[in-house]
Amino acid sequence: MKQAIYGLILYVFLILPPVASLAESVMTIHMHMQMPLLVVVGFLFTPFLKQTFPNFFVQWNAKGVPGILLFMVITVYWMLPRAMDEALNIRAIETFKFISLPFFAGVPLRDSWSKMNRLWKSITFIFLTLTYGMIGILYILTPIQLCNNYLMLEQKTLGWSSLVTALCFLAYLILNVTIDKSKYE
Amino acid sequence: MATITKETVPSQSTVKEKIHGMLGVNRQDAKLSLVLISIAFIAFLLGGILGLVQGLNRAGLFELPSWLNYYQVLTGHGVLLVLVFSTTFTIGYFYAAFSHTLGGLLPKVRKMGWAGLGLMVIGVVFVATTIIMGDASVMYTFYPPMQASPWFYVGLVFLVLGIWLYAFGAFINVAHWRKNHRGEHLPLLAYFGVGVFVLLFIGSFGVTAEVLYIIPWAFGWIDTINVMLTRTLFWSFGHTLVNIWYLAAVSSWYVAIPKLIGGKVFNDSLARLVVILSVVLNITGGFHHQIIDPGINEGIKFMHVFMSLSIGFPSMMTAFAMFATFERTGRKKGAKGLLGWVKVLPWGDVRFLAPMIAMISFIPAGAGGIAQTNNQLDQVVHNTMWIVGHFHLTLGVSVVVSFCGIVYWLVPHLSKRVLTPKMNKLGVIQTLIWTLGMIFMAGSMHIVGLAGSPRRTSYTTYGDNATALGWDPYLFFLAIGGTLLIIGCVLMFYIVFHLMFKAPKGETAFPIAEQEEGAHATPYWTERWTVWIILMLAIVAMAYVIPLVDMIFNAPPGSPPFRTW
Repeated sequence: MKQAIYGLILYVFLILPPVASLAESVMTIHMHMQMPLLVVVGFLFTPFLKQTFPNFFVQWNAKGVPGILLFMVITVYWMLPRAMDEALNIRAIETFKFISLPFFAGVPLRDSWSKMNRLWKSITFIFLTLTYGMIGILYILTPIQLCNNYLMLEQKTLGWSSLVTALCFLAYLILNVTIDKSKYE
Repeated sequence: MATITKETVPSQSTVKEKIHGMLGVNRQDAKLSLVLISIAFIAFLLGGILGLVQGLNRAGLFELPSWLNYYQVLTGHGVLLVLVFSTTFTIGYFYAAFSHTLGGLLPKVRKMGWAGLGLMVIGVVFVATTIIMGDASVMYTFYPPMQASPWFYVGLVFLVLGIWLYAFGAFINVAHWRKNHRGEHLPLLAYFGVGVFVLLFIGSFGVTAEVLYIIPWAFGWIDTINVMLTRTLFWSFGHTLVNIWYLAAVSSWYVAIPKLIGGKVFNDSLARLVVILSVVLNITGGFHHQIIDPGINEGIKFMHVFMSLSIGFPSMMTAFAMFATFERTGRKKGAKGLLGWVKVLPWGDVRFLAPMIAMISFIPAGAGGIAQTNNQLDQVVHNTMWIVGHFHLTLGVSVVVSFCGIVYWLVPHLSKRVLTPKMNKLGVIQTLIWTLGMIFMAGSMHIVGLAGSPRRTSYTTYGDNATALGWDPYLFFLAIGGTLLIIGCVLMFYIVFHLMFKAPKGETAFPIAEQEEGAHATPYWTERWTVWIILMLAIVAMAYVIPLVDMIFNAPPGSPPFRTW
C-alpha cells in the first residue's frame, strides 16, 4: 500500500499542469524523463493492483508474455514522433499518455518480469536496445523535422539521448553475458 | 528478493587469508600504501606553503618576488592539494583497506599499483615543471581559453592513466575475492573502495575527453576551442572528485570510528545504500559549478538543481547514522539524559576527535553547498571568496581532517608501530590548531565573499575604492587563519613521518567495526554493481546529453588561446 501511495503522489505531481508543460517543453525530457517516470508510477501501483485484482493478473498474464507484449506495443507507440506531437496538440491523446504508460506499460512490465523466463527477459532487453538504437539513429540522421512541436536540434538531442540509452542496455547485456554470475554468487 | 549473508553462507577463507590474519599487515602491500601516503603528505606540505604565500599576498601583507606569479602559486596550491594530495591519499588508503579486508593484494595488482604510481609521478613531473617554469598558470581547473604549455596537459594524461591502473587493480582484486567467497557480501570498507574506484574511473571519462581535445589546440594543430564544452567536461570530473574524497572520508566514519569508540556499525544496508546513491547520483552534480555560465539555458539549470540536491540524501543518511551510532554507544556506556552520550565520547582521542570535527564541519559546509546549488543564491556569491571559503570548509576540514584522523591508526598499522599518548596529544593540538585556522580563514572568506570580494584575483585595492578597502580586515583574518594552518600543516607532516619511521614498534589494529547483534541481513541486491553502474551511466546520459548536444551544435566561434599571466 505504501508503494501505491508513493506512486499516487508521483502521478499527481507529473499530471500537475506546470510540471507537465515544463517536462513537455524539452523533447528529450518529454520522452526520456516524463514517460519513464509514468512507467515508474505503474511499477509502484502494481502490488496494490495485484492484491486488489489477483484473479485478473493470473488469468490474463499467467506467464508474463501477454503483459510484456502489451508493454512493447505501448513503448513503441510512444516512440513515434507523431504520437509525441499529438500528445501536445490533442487533449485526448495527452490523457491517453497519462493512462497508457502507467497502466499498460508500467504495470504489465512489473507483473510480467518475475513471471518471465530468461529467454523472454533477454528478448525484452534486446527489443529495448534495438528500438532505442534505431530511434536514436533515425532522429540523428533524419534531415527533416519529424515533430511539429520540436526543433531540429531537439530532435538530434533526443537521438543522441536514445542512442546512449541503447548503449547502456547493450553494456548491461554484454556484462550479463560475459560475467558468469555462478562464479561469484 | 534473495538475501544471502555471511551467516547463511559458510566462510571460505583461504589459507593465505588465515596466515595474513595472524601475521597482520602484508609488508609489500603496506610499502605501496605508505609510499602513496608519503607522497600525499609531501604534496600537502608544499601545497600548504604555497597556500600561506598566497593568503599573505591576498591580504596585502606580503609581496611576491618578481620571479613568482600569484596565479602560478595559486595553480601550484590547487594542483598539489586538490589533485595530488587527495588522490594519492585516497588510493593509498583504499589499497591498504583492500589488502586488509580482502586478504592481501594479488601480486599482479601490486605490480599494477607500482606501475600506476610510476605513471602518476611522470604526470606530476610534467605538470609541476610547466607550472614552475611559469608556462601553466591556469589554475587546477585549467579552463580554456587560458592555455598552458601542451606538456601540462600531457602530464594530466599520465595522471589519469595512473588512476585507471589503480582502478583496474582494485576491480581485479575484488573480483578475485568474490570468486573465493561466493555469495558473501564484500566487506563494507572494500565496498566503499569499489564505489570510489568506479567513480574515479567513470568520472574521469569527461576530463579525459577534455584533455584529449585541448592537447591538439595546445600544440597548435587546431586554432580554436569550444570553451563551454571544455568547462562542462571538466566539471563532470571535478565534482565527482570532490565526492570521491568525501566518500573516502565517510568510509572511515562508518567503518573505523564505531570501532574506535567501542560501538558497532549502525546499519550495514544503510551504509551500502549510501555508497550506491553516492555513485549513481554523483557525476550529474557537476553542473552546479556552472550555474553562472551563460551558455546553459535556465531550464537545464533548473533541472540540475534537483540533480545536484539529490546527493544531499546520502549525506543526510550518513549524518543520521553517525549520530545514531554515537548515541547508542554512549548509552551503552551508561550515558543518561538527552545529550549525556556526548560527554562519554572519547574527545581526548585524536582518532575520534579529528573525524568528529570533520563531521561537524560538514553541517555548515553541506548547508553552504545546498545554498550554492540554487541559481538565485549562487548568483550572489559565485565569483566571490565565499566559494573559496566553502571548499576550504568541505575539503580543508571535512575531508582533510578525516584523512588526518585516518593517519593516526592507518600509518602505525602499516609501519608496525604504535600511536603513543604523546603523539596523540600532539595530534589533538594539531587538530585544534587546524580547526581554529580554518574557522578564521574559511569564515572570513565567506564573509568577505558576501561583501563582494572576488576570487581568483591577486591583491588589489581597485584604486583605493572604499568597498575594496572594506574587505581588508577580513583578508587580514584570512592571513591569520593561513598562518595557523601552516603550523597545523607542518605538525601533521611531522606526525605522519614520525608515525612512519620513529614511533615505538608494535602492532596497531586496523579498526573495522562489526554489525550490531541481531542486525537485519543486508540484501544481496546491494552487490549488483552491474546494475548500479548502468544506472549511473543512464543518469549521466540524462543529465549531459541535452546540454552537450546544444553546446556542440549551437557552438559559437571557437576561441583562440590566451595567456593572461
